[in-house]
Amino acid sequence: MIKVIKSGLYTSIQDNGRYGYRNIGVPSSGFMDQHSASIANMIVGNNKNESLLEFTLMGPTLLFNNNYTISFTGGDFELMINDSKIEMYKPINVKIGDILKVNHTKSGARGYLAVSGTIDIDSFLGSKSFFKSITRSHYLKNGDEIKVLRKKKNKNFYNYESKLEINNLMNAFKGPEYYLLDKESINKLFNDEFIIGLNNRMAYNLEGKIQAKLNSIISSPVLPGTVQLTPSGKMIILHRDCQTSGGYARILQLDKKSINNLAQLKVGVNIKFKLL
Amino acid sequence: MEFFVYSEDSILIKFSYKTENKIFNSIFSVKKKIELDFNKYITDSVQSINSLLIIFKKNKISSEQLIKEIKDKGYKINFNKLNGKIWEIPVCYDPVYAKDLEEFSKSKNISSSDLIKTHKSKIYDLLSMGFLPGFMYLGQTDKQLHCERKLEPSLDIKKGSIGLALDQTCIYPQDSPGGWHIIGVSPLNFFDIESKSPCFAQPGDKIEFVEISIKQYELMKKDRLLKPNFR
Repeated sequence: MIKVIKSGLYTSIQDNGRYGYRNIGVPSSGFMDQHSASIANMIVGNNKNESLLEFTLMGPTLLFNNNYTISFTGGDFELMINDSKIEMYKPINVKIGDILKVNHTKSGARGYLAVSGTIDIDSFLGSKSFFKSITRSHYLKNGDEIKVLRKKKNKNFYNYESKLEINNLMNAFKGPEYYLLDKESINKLFNDEFIIGLNNRMAYNLEGKIQAKLNSIISSPVLPGTVQLTPSGKMIILHRDCQTSGGYARILQLDKKSINNLAQLKVGVNIKFKLL
Repeated sequence: MEFFVYSEDSILIKFSYKTENKIFNSIFSVKKKIELDFNKYITDSVQSINSLLIIFKKNKISSEQLIKEIKDKGYKINFNKLNGKIWEIPVCYDPVYAKDLEEFSKSKNISSSDLIKTHKSKIYDLLSMGFLPGFMYLGQTDKQLHCERKLEPSLDIKKGSIGLALDQTCIYPQDSPGGWHIIGVSPLNFFDIESKSPCFAQPGDKIEFVEISIKQYELMKKDRLLKPNFR
């Protein structure tokens, strides 16, 4: 068992997400940065879609009540086990009574902690990913206990040389309402930089405007990575926990890599769009 | 039908015809056909009022190829055939639960009983689900019931509440804040997380409201397994 001593800023359990239920209004959820999460799982010999802990900007403090093999990937978080520093992207053996402290991130926004084995919580609609109104809780709280079913035989563990690369260039397809943009707005969209504003697992607000002011559309399907233009000229990029339909013009759709990259950008960082 | 690449693993099909109600039935029938014929590729398909988003396994097929194969099927749009079910939803319009009924009818200059009669006189299309898991957007309401959302959303709308906004009526599947005018409440469970198919209805189906008394409401509310009739 792993005990949550301090939960950090926003720590939740996520897997690859919920599929097949968007038509009845259930968001996909799942790893914000699928790439980093799958590496964390592979390092400890898990299936790449296995559930793990996702934390944001400031990580949790955890007490291990058993021996486990764990791994960290994603943002450059400072990690301490009983006051000695440990490295990311490597399998780490922890023992009963060890205390792990995940501090602030120097670069990147999200970190992943995988444990060799399976986190023993209920699946809802085919996924363990936390989401309000689907799972019992939507983030971990101080005092929570996480049960892990360890693998009987230790599989192979891996070291990864690659680290997270922060990438501010968002590659995008044209969205269904792209054709409503005038030439000047299109120029602005691809030449200007936009600043990341308030964000969460649902969506990223962008600061800075493009000229076009498109009216609301008839409520239509959206996906994680959909770039919406509000009637005020501001943009919102939807992410994993976004609703399944929306009424704002969909001007761009990020590709899979860029959706992962976006999950690692902090408030105040500049991004640029590029058409695929 | 117009086809668009939406992303690496999704395509959007837009439907543009003049009478909205009829398009709606045809989207549902095209959705069912695509799900059947391309079952091995598809992971999700989302229906809205005038379009259909298909999400598929990108390691099995490309967006361009899937569009081509769907076009090759040459699906005919059948306006008249109705594939969905009609669900009978019991509603209690008593002001004890219908928090906005009196104020709303006053603002519309009609009596509460006329408003109720108008609301339950129509069979509504389940246009789409969103906002909350299982939240139903139903349309279109009678012109008399068209309205803006409330200026200030209510913070404590009860599970099962029936709302009005724009040219639509809705059902709240759980307690929630929200901006719709609440004119009734249903005792049914609209979203069962323990079930593999958590909603009894789906977009493309139809909803008919059947009035019940407050006594019936409170009795039916106790029956957690209560399921609506359909035809």
